[in-house]
Amino acid sequence: MSAEVLVFDILAVLAVISGAGVVLARNPVHSAISLVVTFVNLAGIFVMLRAEFLGVVQIIVYTGAILVLVLFVIMLVDPDDLPDFHGGRPLQRAAAFVIGLMLLGEVAVAILTRTVVGQPGPWSEEFVLEQGGNVQVLGQFLYSGYVLPIQAIAVVLLVGTIGALVLARPDEPVGRPRPRHTGTISLGHPRGAEGEFHEPLPLGAGAGAARSERRGEMRGGIIVVTDAESYSDRPAWELEFSEPSADSNDTSYADDGFGVGKERNRS
Amino acid sequence: MNELTAEHFLLLSAALFIIGMMGVLVRRNVLVIFMSVELMINAVNVAFIGFAWEQDSMVGQTFALFVIAVAAAESILGLGIIMALSRRIDSVDTADVTTLRD
Repeated sequence: MSAEVLVFDILAVLAVISGAGVVLARNPVHSAISLVVTFVNLAGIFVMLRAEFLGVVQIIVYTGAILVLVLFVIMLVDPDDLPDFHGGRPLQRAAAFVIGLMLLGEVAVAILTRTVVGQPGPWSEEFVLEQGGNVQVLGQFLYSGYVLPIQAIAVVLLVGTIGALVLARPDEPVGRPRPRHTGTISLGHPRGAEGEFHEPLPLGAGAGAARSERRGEMRGGIIVVTDAESYSDRPAWELEFSEPSADSNDTSYADDGFGVGKERNRS
Repeated sequence: MNELTAEHFLLLSAALFIIGMMGVLVRRNVLVIFMSVELMINAVNVAFIGFAWEQDSMVGQTFALFVIAVAAAESILGLGIIMALSRRIDSVDTADVTTLRD
């Protein structure tokens, strides 16, 4: 047994064992760690197969990026959301094992009795070295005959990024307080300080109807707040001293301490 | 089997692929299913690179590179879906994802 086969066997056995660990582990974090071990072993095998660039890409992309992302998501997901470990009933588990072994046997027979032989290409080890190495040859390949796939991959990654943004976006935008649109008691203008209220107000609901006995005094259409207690977020026509005769039937401005009451009521 | 042959790599690839497939079929945690899919993609890459090695070709390596790129995009979307699942139905259990069935 040559040293090459021995190294390959060690890497392959480790990869398969840790691959089984991915499926069998109870804790998703343990699964992710097993997956890292598998990927690193596979990167070693890629290097053995004269695909040095892909071995490096495997480590950078898979163990560096994807696995870190997986771990992030595992930690972002609420632990209560995780299902209990479920490997099926014992019968199912045994059936899965047996069926898996049968499948592996079938595929192994197909592999070992393989008769199709392809036509070897020119890229032997010496020729690749002559061209400058694996990375150079791969670069020449990608940017001569595979330009269109490269562009397509770029589009796929862009669309994937946008899709992830759309998928992971929270349902409601949070944390951005909306500008207040309560009329408060500013100037007592019947349409509010900013003129934002598009519905015509009930007759007599404006400042003209407000009386000033209890909460303040009104001078020529302006309500003057005399003490802190009488300040209010509510529109002037909803204050106690206004006449609720033709009720303005829009109470959504009220009780919004944070200025988002209107949106909350609608949903 | 004193020499390294393509059968070695194909057997390794088949074993990893079947392990990943059984993981997808048996487990119910979406995160573990996702990791099993990654395992299957890597098994396919092993087969590609093994054949490229056997046939002295570069096409297999090129294709494996594209597979890795697509797998990266797939993993972004898969993890986004897992996040959305966790946020909307408060579960990452496949048995609880019944929106289309109900």
